[in-house]
Amino acid sequence: MYTLITMPWVPPTFQGQVRDLPVRWALEEIGATYEVRLVDDAHRESEAYRAKQPFGKVPVLEIDGLTLFESAAIVQHLGETSWLLPADPSLRAQARAWMFAAMNSIDPDVIALGDIDHFAADTAWGRERRPELEKSLRNRLDDLAQALGAREYLVGPFSAADIVMITVFRALRHTALISQNPALRAYRDRCETRAAFRRALDAQLQTFQLHEPSAA
Amino acid sequence: MSKITLVAFQWVPPFAQGLVRDLRVRWALEEAGVEYEQKLLAPGENNTPEYRALQPFGQVPVYHEGDLTLFESGSIVMHVAQRSPVLLPMDQAGRAKVLQWMFAALNSVEPHVLNYTALDTFFANEEWSKGRRPSAEKTMRGRLEGLSRGLGTREYFVDRFTAADLLMTTVLRFMRDTKVVADYPNLAALQARCEARPAFKRALEAQMANFVKYAPKAA
Repeated sequence: MYTLITMPWVPPTFQGQVRDLPVRWALEEIGATYEVRLVDDAHRESEAYRAKQPFGKVPVLEIDGLTLFESAAIVQHLGETSWLLPADPSLRAQARAWMFAAMNSIDPDVIALGDIDHFAADTAWGRERRPELEKSLRNRLDDLAQALGAREYLVGPFSAADIVMITVFRALRHTALISQNPALRAYRDRCETRAAFRRALDAQLQTFQLHEPSAA
Repeated sequence: MSKITLVAFQWVPPFAQGLVRDLRVRWALEEAGVEYEQKLLAPGENNTPEYRALQPFGQVPVYHEGDLTLFESGSIVMHVAQRSPVLLPMDQAGRAKVLQWMFAALNSVEPHVLNYTALDTFFANEEWSKGRRPSAEKTMRGRLEGLSRGLGTREYFVDRFTAADLLMTTVLRFMRDTKVVADYPNLAALQARCEARPAFKRALEAQMANFVKYAPKAA
């Protein structure tokens, strides 16, 4: 029994990249059904919620008696007992390495760039900082493309590592960084055409549509 | 077990000594009681095509165990932990909780800690770093507050010392030139408790010994 805890609505800029997406995607891939519980901004500040998620973020996944946060940890955990992580021990270790790479070597610069573009675009520091940050992120992505080489997925067949990496990419949709990189663009498109991804994305977007604040 | 080789730098500048991420792996191996050899990279060796084939971003550490080669310190710590009851509980739920705090360390806390410390370490002379400081500090402190609340009155993040505490301690160490961690007494106590472990001390000494040995000659 899975219960996914996420937000009822976020501004359009962030729709399609909230981090319940990798969890929904993983659950869809393994054919698990799940319930959704929505927590608004006020509730995410409450003691009760902070006891589940100390940073007040989403998602949280409840699995029978186990409550977990950190989307990549949840996806890796789901992979431990399903085909989402390769059975071969060596490939399995490589897949885990790419999940850590996505969250610790790629995501921080992706988030930093988004923070400037969405929250500090009109500040002097944001304008001065951005070019160098974008350059460093572009280099990282080039390195990633080089490592991917001619392979279709990060490790062997499609795995939990691809779910985490592709959902990190989504926070760059307002830029051309992925689409200008032919190898990464093809990799992204290959993963995002999966039926499980489409269902996961539709489910996230539908939630936001249902909870669209009425015009003032 | 096959022979283990850890790849690290011969030398780094003083601001990074005692912080380079091979420390995490050395510490995990010391806790697990596993012997390892080291291969040290001379300046520039991390940017050769041969090395980039092992580590796409030109970083350290890289870990070899027989035919297996791994990168990303978090994943190597996890790999070592999976065969050491010292670092990881045996039950699936306990393991998931440790994994949760490992990713919290590396994705919810570390990036915001480094955003802040980089302002002094790398960007002190950049005009923009002054304007950036207030928001960087606010976000970093928000995360440490959440972390402090998440730890609460417990001694460790999951029941007893695990790989999660190991990684979190190495993240808190990035703040060593500031007084920030002292503002969160339970986090400061966690860091002190973990750094008092003999395995940590051996790991730190092993890293530092290389930097002494390979220190550039004074001009």
